[in-house]
Amino acid sequence: MSKSVDLGLNVFDHQLLDSEDRRCGKVDDLELEGGPGEEFEVVAILCGPGVWRGRAGVLGRIAAWLGGGGRVRVPWSEVAEIHSHVQLGKRAEELALGSGDDRLRPYIEKIPGSDH
Amino acid sequence: MKIFQVALGILAAIGGFVDIGDLVFNVAAGATFGYQLLWVVVIGVVGIIVYSEMCGRVAAVSGKAVFDAVRERLGFKVGLVALISAQVVNLMTLTAEIGGVAICLQLLSGLSYRWMILVAGVAFAIVVWVTPFEWVERVFGYGGLCMLVFAVAAVKLHPSWGAVAHGFVPHMDTQSPLLYAYFAIGLLGAAMTPYEVYFYSSGGVEERWGPKDLGLNRVNAQIGYGLGGFLSFSLMIVGGALFLEKGVQPEFLGSIALGVEVPLGQIGLLLALVGILFAVGGASIDTLFSGAYNLAQFLGWEWGRYRHPRGAPRFTVTWLVLLVLALGAVMTGVDPVQLTEYAVIFSAVALPLTYIPIFLVANDRSYMREYTNGRLGNVLGLVYLVVIMVIALTAVPLMILTNVGQN
Repeated sequence: MSKSVDLGLNVFDHQLLDSEDRRCGKVDDLELEGGPGEEFEVVAILCGPGVWRGRAGVLGRIAAWLGGGGRVRVPWSEVAEIHSHVQLGKRAEELALGSGDDRLRPYIEKIPGSDH
Repeated sequence: MKIFQVALGILAAIGGFVDIGDLVFNVAAGATFGYQLLWVVVIGVVGIIVYSEMCGRVAAVSGKAVFDAVRERLGFKVGLVALISAQVVNLMTLTAEIGGVAICLQLLSGLSYRWMILVAGVAFAIVVWVTPFEWVERVFGYGGLCMLVFAVAAVKLHPSWGAVAHGFVPHMDTQSPLLYAYFAIGLLGAAMTPYEVYFYSSGGVEERWGPKDLGLNRVNAQIGYGLGGFLSFSLMIVGGALFLEKGVQPEFLGSIALGVEVPLGQIGLLLALVGILFAVGGASIDTLFSGAYNLAQFLGWEWGRYRHPRGAPRFTVTWLVLLVLALGAVMTGVDPVQLTEYAVIFSAVALPLTYIPIFLVANDRSYMREYTNGRLGNVLGLVYLVVIMVIALTAVPLMILTNVGQN
């Protein structure tokens, strides 16, 4: 990934796709490392309702509460490619992403015709 | 074969153009101001063509649907406000459309309205659950073509064609300019309803459009929506030639259909009701999915109407919940026509938050490569952003000043 990337325009708030192109969340926040005088480095993508709390005042706190407040940290090393979406190198389950869909799936599957 | 397919798609787009907002505002505007506001419909139709083409192009080149763009360009906080306002308007629209379907079923069957709400709700759930989506879209689109009977009625009512032509030239000949402005904004809001672009762009992403589909996208937008605009003209002409002449303000969906019965008799009435049933039914399904698309795209969930429900569980649960909420709201006995007026006016307020991010992404070379907006696209896009801002700022004050178009 030698090409320069604009974190604000091309990463932040973008769609996460897993290695099988499954949509598994958004880049809700980024974890940076580096003190004054040092180089900043992106170390992880933060994702999930718990991250929204700090991003939109009261509305964000309500959204986080409604969403259950969970958060997932995906190490930056798992990012495979950045195009119009952020592509990850592993499957969503291995990174603990997309668990909301996985939890609901057994119930949806009970309704006849859910896999036509 | 390809041309045949494209033609079928366009037919479905024409049949799917009119929804309850267009029905209510076009006929009411005709019944109040005759043909004077036809020029406003032209502006609205060009607006939806410009922005749906842009959304389709963004979907084809970057794979982003509207609420992906909203989230990326407005950020989480402002984007969340956009999402909430879109969802509120969407649910109001969905409620009004389902109410409209129930009214048509009631008029066609003679059974009670409440039962027909249930019938409509169950029918939607089953149709969407078991029918392949391309069929759903086509069947409702073709059924909606029965609305063309309004064009026949418009001709049969022998309007003064000179006055009709004069209506395409912007002018104002009235004692109540505020009411005129209120109807103008309602007509623009009804023509540029945001759920149309949510649905259209999400469909483009789902059908995996690429740059090779840009021609199809342009034809769909220009011809499909352009010809759909003719239906809006017909509705307003019927309103002007019949209701204004007789001094009647149609307040029920049934009275709108009567506009066809007067010149064309029972068969006309039947076709009008069936046309409204399918057009408004198709719009209900589009609105229903739009609500689920918006939420899923904003939060990054898996989504898609072509996907099996098990492939996109949260998306599926979202549209099921929206359907139940809307059915509950219709059951309270709220008047669908009144609710439509509020939904259209509030959607006008939400328009900028939908169209500004799309405009920004459509100009972003890093995603759009050589397919960014051309000069014409940018000029039109900017002009419409200004129009939309004016509408957004004046819609609610005008609604209050005119007592929701009553004075």
